[in-house]
Amino acid sequence: MPVSKITEPSESNKISKGEPVIIIEHLFKSFGKNVVLKDFNLKVYGQENVVVLGKSGAGKSVLIKCIIGLLKPDRGKILVFGNNIPELSPDELDKVRTKIGFLFQANALYDSMTIRENLEFPLRRHWIGLKQKEVDKMVLEALDNVGLRNTLEMMPIELSGGMLKRIALARTLILKPEIILYDEPTTGLDPVTAREIDKLILKLQKKFKTSSIVISHDMNCVKTIADRVVLLLDGICYAEGTYDELEHSEDEKIKQFFE
Amino acid sequence: MALIQDIRDFFDETGSLTKFAGNFFTNGLKPRYEVKEVLAQSYSIGYKSLPLIGLTNFIMGLVLTMQLRPSLVKYGVESQLPVMVGIAIVREIGPVIAALIFAGKIGSSIGAELGSMKVTEQIDAMEVSGTNPYKYLVATRVLATTLMLPILTILGDGISLIGAYIGVNINSVTSLHLFFIQVFHSLTFSDLIPAIIKTFFFGFAVGMVGCYKGFNSVKGTRGVGISANSAVVLSSVLIFVIDLLVVQFTNLLGLN
Amino acid sequence: MAKQVENNIKLGVFVMTGLLAMMIAFYLIGNNTGMFKSSFTLKVRFVVLDGLREGNNILFSGLQAGTVKSITIINDSTMEVAMQIDSKLKTFIHNTALVAIGTEGLMGNKVVNIQPVKATGQLVNDGDYLKAKKYIGMDEMLETLSKTNNNVATISEALKTTVLKLDTSAIFTLLNDKEIGISIKSSLKNLNTATNNTSELTGSLNKVALHIKQGKGAAGLLLTDTGFESNLKTSMLKIKSASENVNKASVQLKTMATNINNDITYGKGALHTVLRDSAISQKINISMSNLQKGSEGFTQIIEALKHNFLVRGYFRRQEKTQKKDSLNKLSIN
Repeated sequence: MPVSKITEPSESNKISKGEPVIIIEHLFKSFGKNVVLKDFNLKVYGQENVVVLGKSGAGKSVLIKCIIGLLKPDRGKILVFGNNIPELSPDELDKVRTKIGFLFQANALYDSMTIRENLEFPLRRHWIGLKQKEVDKMVLEALDNVGLRNTLEMMPIELSGGMLKRIALARTLILKPEIILYDEPTTGLDPVTAREIDKLILKLQKKFKTSSIVISHDMNCVKTIADRVVLLLDGICYAEGTYDELEHSEDEKIKQFFE
Repeated sequence: MALIQDIRDFFDETGSLTKFAGNFFTNGLKPRYEVKEVLAQSYSIGYKSLPLIGLTNFIMGLVLTMQLRPSLVKYGVESQLPVMVGIAIVREIGPVIAALIFAGKIGSSIGAELGSMKVTEQIDAMEVSGTNPYKYLVATRVLATTLMLPILTILGDGISLIGAYIGVNINSVTSLHLFFIQVFHSLTFSDLIPAIIKTFFFGFAVGMVGCYKGFNSVKGTRGVGISANSAVVLSSVLIFVIDLLVVQFTNLLGLN
Repeated sequence: MAKQVENNIKLGVFVMTGLLAMMIAFYLIGNNTGMFKSSFTLKVRFVVLDGLREGNNILFSGLQAGTVKSITIINDSTMEVAMQIDSKLKTFIHNTALVAIGTEGLMGNKVVNIQPVKATGQLVNDGDYLKAKKYIGMDEMLETLSKTNNNVATISEALKTTVLKLDTSAIFTLLNDKEIGISIKSSLKNLNTATNNTSELTGSLNKVALHIKQGKGAAGLLLTDTGFESNLKTSMLKIKSASENVNKASVQLKTMATNINNDITYGKGALHTVLRDSAISQKINISMSNLQKGSEGFTQIIEALKHNFLVRGYFRRQEKTQKKDSLNKLSIN
């Protein structure tokens, strides 16, 4: 078995060292006979960007869906700010979720709603009793962050893929989360737009001082964003380290990702 | 083996649908109430279905009258035509036609809408945004279909009776007043009330099956199509099954 | 936002229209059952209900008065029907009124008819019992009709027998026999000829006698011839006897004619009976007219039956076969 090299994040990659915000211990998840995660361990520290690399179907999406409570693991602990996600009641889970943003692979913008309604949705759902004035202000602020203020009254179907991704990002950021989970943020975008999105993610990351887990197999994206890279292979954390460390690894299985 | 697998699948599906429907009563009706969403759904499910259901019921009333006339003329009871048509419409034709059209229009649209929401992770997004998708999407739609179909049926019955009135007037002349007096004179509460009550069940079945199929849609555009299609098929079949059960039940209660 | 308000208004109108339609339907149906009118209860006991149900209409002299509220079985031959009657009619219904179960139309719903009776009684109170009247149901109507049919069959059978008897009787043979008339006619003709001949003969004899007196002709010569006198005498005698014979014959003829006449006028025998007996002929007359009346009556019955929908089909078929028969006859002739 290759070595699972768990290293403390180096001081240089971090703006400021934080406590671990996500601790995953001995996580198991299977769908029928298909075992996706078996004894997976991971720690994410404050203001750190962790990229999870892996083949399609390796269980990357499953991992982050378990973190946000969309999927229930078979076994194991997922501690987010000290709350064990699988054991939370729906109300408690909702409370934790306000601190976690999730950028879906397919954007998941509600196509029956305008951009404004899309952005208002999490605000109104999580923070009941918010005044319309405040909501409007936050919506515009979120759109300004991604530079798409003019799309306010448009429908999602009228926008391009890159614009939709930005809107989705704006919606993710509107609740000012402390952790953001990105599910393949650049998949399906042209390389130029993908780079724009990468830069935007990084910019907002710095602005809001968030920690994040990014799932990707786009190596450019990984290179740009990652403070630390985790290789998810055969249901376990196969390797861990900075981009450079893994790029220069001698392991055959690691190498094939960097070719 | 394939047969056994099919039977297993059937009961698996029945069980999970029942569980899904049971969820409506255990979770769906608890606060927080999505009043705004129920209203919005009621508008698009109820109000917007009226023209279609009105048209089909109108034609049904007209055609039924024209089809029944020859038999009644043969027995020399042509004057009973409004009575016959009135009872047929109020007891059976009106509710069932309305429910079937409703299943075709609403069942498929709910199946497709929730199916595509499922496929594009919008349902997950909703859950992440502090919203119980079952309450927000399913309960509201099921509530809307359950409450709107009876209203659509009543209005459809009325429109159907106007169609029947025109049908009666093609071959003879009857005043609208006499027609409606004849119809309502022959009707009793035991005709109207079970017929209206069963439409609540029809509406519930259409909404629930549409949501279930949408929620369990498999990935891809084909999955959405299958969801929409099977929602219509299953809810149409359920309408007839419920109709059968209701008629048995009303017989049992001696309401016929 | 404004659109949502607009949609909600549309939804509101839609729902209110539906509820209004429902309320109207409930009101109209409720009116039938008298739900929204003040009412009182009357009771009546029947032996059979014949399908009367709760909710059936109650008519007072044909006016919608209420509905059947409940039906209770008291014992195997007593059913108690509670009737919900419109309060407005309380001042019109007397406790002598009779109650009967009837049918709306030919096959319609059962109704309860309350019929006022001439004899005045007291006005009814809530919960009073009224008297039940035997009603005429469809079954009984059909039973009566069946009896009537049987009667018609019997009558027509009897009529048929009578006609057959008449057909085979002597009188009818006589009436029908053409030859009798012809032979009577020829007999009378012969009689006439005989009479004429006799008259001619007598005339000729007279002439001969005159000629002889005058001595003309052979006879005269003979008479004048004495030689012939004895011959003449013999001849004369012979003539005399011949003339007597003729006379006898003519008397006989006369007798015969008289006899025939008598026969015709007073005489006995079938012919007379037919031609002369006024009593019998009157009887025949009467029976003929009766027969005619009878057949007229029968025709009327048949005609009435023809219009009866129950046997209309039979008569149509009958007509068709008759037509065919007559056509056949024509072709044979």
